Amino acid sequence: MLKIIIPTIFLLPVILLSNPKSTWMNFFINNLLISATSLTILKPQINTEWKFSSPYTGLDHISSPLLVLTTWLLPLMTLASQNSLKKEPYERKQLFLITLTLLQTFLLGAFCATDLALFYIMFEATLIPTLIIITRWGNQPERLNAGMYFLFYTLTASLPLLIALLTLYNLNNTLLITILHFLPQNTNPPSTSFFLWGACMMAFLVKMPLYGLHLWLPKAHVEAPIAGSMVLAAILLKLGGYGIIRTITMLTPMTKTMSIPFITLSLWGVVMTSLICLRQTDLKSLIAYSSVSHMGLVTAASLIHTEWSLTGAIILMVAHGLVSSALFCLSNFNYERINNRTLLLVRSMQLIMPLLSTWWLLFNLLNMALPPTINLMGELLIITAMFNWSPPTILITGAGVVLTACYSLHMFLTTQHSKFSNHLASMQMTNTREHLLMSLHMIPMVLLMFKPELVWSGTY
Amino acid sequence: MIETQWITPINTMMLASISILLYPLMADTLFKTSMKMQARTAVKYAFFSTLATLIMFINLGMEINTTHINLISSTNFNVGLSFKFDYFTLMFCPTALFVTWSIMDFAKWYMAHDQEVNKFFKYLLIFLLAMLTLVSSNNLFQLFIGWEGVGIMSFLLIGWWRTRGEANTASMQAIIYNRLGDIGFILTLAWTGTNVASWELDQLFMLKPFDTLPLLALVLAAAAKSAQFGMHPWLLGAMEGPTPVSALLHSSTMVVAGIFLLIRLHPMMEDNELTRTTCLLLGAISTFMTAMCALTQNDIKKIIALSTASQLGLMMTTIGLNQPNLAFLHMCLHAFFKSKLFICSGIISHNLSNEQDIRKMGGIHKTMPITSSCFTIGNLALAGIPFMTGFYSKDAIIETMNSSTLNLGALLLTMAATVMTAAYTTRLIFLVQTGPPRHYPMQKITEDKTLSNAILRLSLGSIAIGPISAMTLDQTQTLPTTVTTLIKLSALGATMMGIFVSLIFIHKNKQNRPQKNNLSTFSNMLTFYSSLTHRSPTTHLLKKAQKVSTTLNDATWYEYSVPKFFSKTQLKMSKALSFLAQGKVKTYLAVFTMSLMTLIILTT
Repeated sequence: MLKIIIPTIFLLPVILLSNPKSTWMNFFINNLLISATSLTILKPQINTEWKFSSPYTGLDHISSPLLVLTTWLLPLMTLASQNSLKKEPYERKQLFLITLTLLQTFLLGAFCATDLALFYIMFEATLIPTLIIITRWGNQPERLNAGMYFLFYTLTASLPLLIALLTLYNLNNTLLITILHFLPQNTNPPSTSFFLWGACMMAFLVKMPLYGLHLWLPKAHVEAPIAGSMVLAAILLKLGGYGIIRTITMLTPMTKTMSIPFITLSLWGVVMTSLICLRQTDLKSLIAYSSVSHMGLVTAASLIHTEWSLTGAIILMVAHGLVSSALFCLSNFNYERINNRTLLLVRSMQLIMPLLSTWWLLFNLLNMALPPTINLMGELLIITAMFNWSPPTILITGAGVVLTACYSLHMFLTTQHSKFSNHLASMQMTNTREHLLMSLHMIPMVLLMFKPELVWSGTY
Repeated sequence: MIETQWITPINTMMLASISILLYPLMADTLFKTSMKMQARTAVKYAFFSTLATLIMFINLGMEINTTHINLISSTNFNVGLSFKFDYFTLMFCPTALFVTWSIMDFAKWYMAHDQEVNKFFKYLLIFLLAMLTLVSSNNLFQLFIGWEGVGIMSFLLIGWWRTRGEANTASMQAIIYNRLGDIGFILTLAWTGTNVASWELDQLFMLKPFDTLPLLALVLAAAAKSAQFGMHPWLLGAMEGPTPVSALLHSSTMVVAGIFLLIRLHPMMEDNELTRTTCLLLGAISTFMTAMCALTQNDIKKIIALSTASQLGLMMTTIGLNQPNLAFLHMCLHAFFKSKLFICSGIISHNLSNEQDIRKMGGIHKTMPITSSCFTIGNLALAGIPFMTGFYSKDAIIETMNSSTLNLGALLLTMAATVMTAAYTTRLIFLVQTGPPRHYPMQKITEDKTLSNAILRLSLGSIAIGPISAMTLDQTQTLPTTVTTLIKLSALGATMMGIFVSLIFIHKNKQNRPQKNNLSTFSNMLTFYSSLTHRSPTTHLLKKAQKVSTTLNDATWYEYSVPKFFSKTQLKMSKALSFLAQGKVKTYLAVFTMSLMTLIILTT
């Protein structure tokens, strides 16, 4: 584990000591090396034993795909924000990269922590760099408001978690994830269990986000700079799902009854947010709401906590991480060219940038879960698990499937097809950096399509 | 009986011919110009190699299942790439390839001025490949890959002229209807995943009796894909795409996928009464409604599209009759003449400066003799005139239906549809080809040689494939052995009646002025179905999306109940407390000392 965390920390001297001309390159290459090293973690194994374990860190089949996703995404984030930071002074670029590196370190810490207390600290620590990224490098004055929403929503919900964790430590004398399964089921009075369950879940449900508490997410996504949007959509939301999967095992008897309203709400949210997507005029906001809709499925799946649903949740988290990040990049390409996010102003891009249009098509198809992509595998597993849990859910998940296709293709048709408007006539061509960025999103998707077992959580 | 040394050749040749089709897709990027292969050449080669396999199959009569790669493996659930080469696959592949070969010849001429003609051919090829994946797969997951593949490729192809709003709307419409059907497919996947723990077809067939829910879901999926009544509007919208796309979509890909799904999964549903009755009635209603609408249409492509929908209804009825083999035969034979009709109509309208109104045609048999004779052959085959291809399957279907004890209503609707099919094909032949030319005088009319070859090939198919298949393949199915003369002649009688009635009307209409007639408007406006269903529910849904989910919930309730509520109450509180913090040090000190004094006095 340390061979990933320590090089990540040592990215800081790389940023500070590099020759100004080659900072980006050094940073990017070092990052790629780290993510290449981390790929070995994905090697499938037969049993659920912990890998790379030390007293504080360790990885199992649930955390390893997410950890690799995290390391994979940092180089992509640097690649994506190169253009938007071009005009900034060098010191600020350094500051930006330092913030990203710190965020990365905390994320790695959160995913490989075996102690829930360490996980909590890392989980909270990610807020600070993210907040800085949103409020410092966002494009509009609304970014301050967005940062406020982001911070207060997640912080308010996660303070009870701290108390819950302390209580649990008091009861069991340990917070190690590795042995939480083996602890005696808690025999608290019902009211205590009720609050314990609520306190443990709420922090993660807000992070996911649960429909109704999702308001911070579209704001944060829309106002954040491209790197912020990418990391938010791809990884920070997944922290919530990961947290639910980890903590729900120790709350077993309560989950059966307590999770029902939340599952209902998240499934309802799938439909509602998809409907919102149909009426969005803002490209980035559309993608953000589509994230809420997809994460609704993940929330429901991780709350019912069966073998199929967990597998589906992890697959969908990885798939959605890559796809939503790629969609944000694509919308950012448009934004960098015409400085506007309005859907109606960017039309018929296929005429101007045919190759970029191919990327749009591919990622929209992935977003609507076309077989045999892993998005479909994830969604199908979740839908099956939900169907097994309660057959009528197929109506809601089915409606979700239809609406997802509608808004994904609506987004594609509006931006790429339809009539050409003259204000787009003088447009900067696509460059290699952008295509590289898209390819680096696409390659893992394609490879995982042929070998889904890599994220298929080995055991089942 | 089964000679094992033949398994490998069939298997290998089928996979090899499918991989021939992959070659032109990759050659462009991988090789130099000299190594490239045109899409149509690849299709041609693939056709000949699959034909050889079909002959081997007819000779030996055996099925092959192969599993190659394990895609998803877990302790109790495996999904692999597995192929099934049985009667259905081996019969369908050459048919689809033969038809596509001709269509590609046609597309080369039709799309000659298109900027991105290479891309167009690649799309067609991927479309075909998706269909072949669907046909040859041996598990539901792989079938779903092909199923969605044809759906998404039809989306791209229907919206080919991408700057046109109508084309975009039509492609969107197609994908929405298809996705509605996908709910059914996904339900079946979920049901079988939980209850059977397998998606392999052979293992599913072992489970009997099957639950009704997943079977009805399958019917929903098939109805959406095959444009049965209620889900048919997208098929007419699909006419916005280029004509080669329509030809491919209507003959051997996409729309027949739904019927094929039911044929393939028929062992699951043969014991289920409710599902079969649903199929029977759904099919009968679709075939009747669409045939009725076709009677009064004036757009040549629309008439042919409606005739496809009508024939699909007939296939669905046949499945309801528990005769999947007959439905399959009709599906294959239908591919020949339907693609030909589309190609001919494309040639005619392209030659007449893209005129599609049959009232503005006429006299084509003089200017385009080959095209018009092929068009006639296609129409006759569609109407089910004896010894043309359509006859062999259609006659058998109606005969089976007449001699079965099933629903009388379905029987009557189907017979009426047969009469009307004969009527509108006659109308098509007469209005397009005979009489004085009614098109604009200055038309540059040509009949390209490769094009003529393509439609002549298909005409040969439309005439010869029927008898050949009747002689070679029909042994597998059981037909009623004795039928009365009346029943035997009923199909023929219906066709003849349709033709004569149509002739009488055409003759009479030459003398009459057009009159307003409610029934004809009803049929001409496609029973007002899309006007009724497309406008109000979608507007309603989008309004709800805007008002309820966006404005009411997100922008008002969630905003005001949590963040705005807290900020407001906080503001109130801080305002209430701020009057205390005005920097009046003397007062503070006085209050402080006084309270301290009081405390001290109280405590002591």
